Amino acid sequence: MVTVVKKRAVPTVKETGEWDGLLVGIYTLWLKHMRKFRSSPVEILFTLATPVLWMAFFGVCMTGMVLEANVGMGYLAFITPGVMLLTGLTAAILGGTTLLLERVNGTLKEYLVAPIPRLAVLLGSMTSGLTKAIFQSMAVLLAGCLLDSSLAFRVLPFLGALGIATIFCLGFVGLASAIASQAKSMESYHSLIMVMNLPVLFLSNALYPLEKMPATLKGLALLNPTTYAVDACRILLFNSKPEIGLLIDLMVLVLFMVASIYYGYRAFSKVMQKIGA
Amino acid sequence: MATVFNQDREGKLAQTASGQVSYAIETAGLTKSFGKVKAVTKLDLRVEQGSLYALLGPNGAGKTTTINLLTTLIGPDSGMASVAGYDVVKQPLMVRRNIGVTFQEVALDRNLTGRSLLDIHGRLYQLPSKEIKKRTAQLVELVELEEVLDRPVKTYSGGMKRRLELARGLLTEPHILFLDEPTVGLDPHNRERIWAYLQDLRTHQKITIMLTTHYLDEAEKLADKVGIIDEGKLVVEGSPNNLIASLGTDIIKLTGRGELEKFQEALREQDWIAAFRVASESGSEEETGGTTDVLINLTSEAGRAVKPLVDLAERSGFSVEDFSLQRPTLNEVFFKYTGRRLRD
Repeated sequence: MVTVVKKRAVPTVKETGEWDGLLVGIYTLWLKHMRKFRSSPVEILFTLATPVLWMAFFGVCMTGMVLEANVGMGYLAFITPGVMLLTGLTAAILGGTTLLLERVNGTLKEYLVAPIPRLAVLLGSMTSGLTKAIFQSMAVLLAGCLLDSSLAFRVLPFLGALGIATIFCLGFVGLASAIASQAKSMESYHSLIMVMNLPVLFLSNALYPLEKMPATLKGLALLNPTTYAVDACRILLFNSKPEIGLLIDLMVLVLFMVASIYYGYRAFSKVMQKIGA
Repeated sequence: MATVFNQDREGKLAQTASGQVSYAIETAGLTKSFGKVKAVTKLDLRVEQGSLYALLGPNGAGKTTTINLLTTLIGPDSGMASVAGYDVVKQPLMVRRNIGVTFQEVALDRNLTGRSLLDIHGRLYQLPSKEIKKRTAQLVELVELEEVLDRPVKTYSGGMKRRLELARGLLTEPHILFLDEPTVGLDPHNRERIWAYLQDLRTHQKITIMLTTHYLDEAEKLADKVGIIDEGKLVVEGSPNNLIASLGTDIIKLTGRGELEKFQEALREQDWIAAFRVASESGSEEETGGTTDVLINLTSEAGRAVKPLVDLAERSGFSVEDFSLQRPTLNEVFFKYTGRRLRD
């Protein structure tokens, strides 16, 4: 029935290569999440619903209220970077949900007894979350292009903006993984995420310029990575006057990304010690 | 890379240089606590290659923790364990390459198809896709899932899920298969089928199986060797037949009603009673007519114990309505070693 075995020298642990297992593990888990994503069109539609609502209702209606002079461009174009990042953020959070679900329902154990390093489990779910985030960011950018003539399609600026979105999303994927590793249940995860979600959008320059904000709120907005990501995207996409400056934006974002991923990894490893308990 | 599992299956696991038999699983002083709870305490286990070892014990005895330790899911506090010749702490990746595991709770991704699930599993172990396809075809035939293989797992029945998990555990051709409560929650038909697969598997392949169960008939039927653990310790070990034979004594079943707790108290104090348990306490009043079965292991022949036993019951206020003798089974072995301390 089951095939008989070829004889072969026993490889040492070094020979079989931990890094090899790491890449295979990341790829396999990414593949699995992508297969699931592809087989559930509802998930794709719903994640796209939020940005569409922002653009089609909020954006279109506010366009009548906001003078172009105040924001320097059409309002829809103005909020496109913010909406794009929000979409990416949602996808990152969903990536955390995947990790949490697999932890809670026990599927994670299958990976933990497989010959792959545990880091691969975390990175696998991070990369699948990131992939979804980037696809959706791309969709929003293209929608912005179609809806508002102030945003013209140019390859390099678009790639730049997507790069910013990637760094930004990786940061939130890290945070989401950390929360997902520690959350006791789906409910607690989502209530925490909900609390985090709105300030990330409102306490930033995503919907209004920094200079129009009261000093206190402006100060808070400067603690929010979204502000830097939005500023960087606007500079890249519209050549608009920097509110902060591309270099600082990049530095802050990279710092945020590294710190969050490290935090996510720490929280994840800590929880893995206890998973069999 | 891909053929890593096929390495020297016999050679590595056969005999050590000194000529001693090496065990498929060997632990010494294995200990693990969770906070103040001692889950496993100084466990010494030896499982011979190619055997089927059943780990028995009441809920919370440490069975699952033992499996988790042996499958490298968690690390021990102290002691050592070697699985397939590799140390679980120092060489976890090598241990994982040599084992297949199914966990107590069904852990399958509901939205994937059975085929996709097996494919992902094979990829995690770096099997070439041709090999995955070939083995998938063989295994689904074994567990009779050909027809549903391309349906999402959420449409499977409980028995199908268990069978798919079994196929997944076998996909990588492990040397050692760990099955944590493989038949829990299954109907008798599906349980019989799982047993049949395992027996079929063992006739075709030299595979070591360690399973935990609290179905004693399962252990009695399948296992070469049974280990009963309680409170994290191995209390007794042996082949099912030897364990039963070692009881040697008869079992008396008393059916009655009245002061059950007082009667139990009195039973505990008698040195001619090896063990006892209350069998059908939970039945509703209407079904059992309010009576309770008490099973009693004796240290001497049943004939002499009848009168003292009935007297003892009557004195404690437990009025006896029926009385019968039973031949011991693994059940009685289990309760002899763990019965007085039944808890959850």
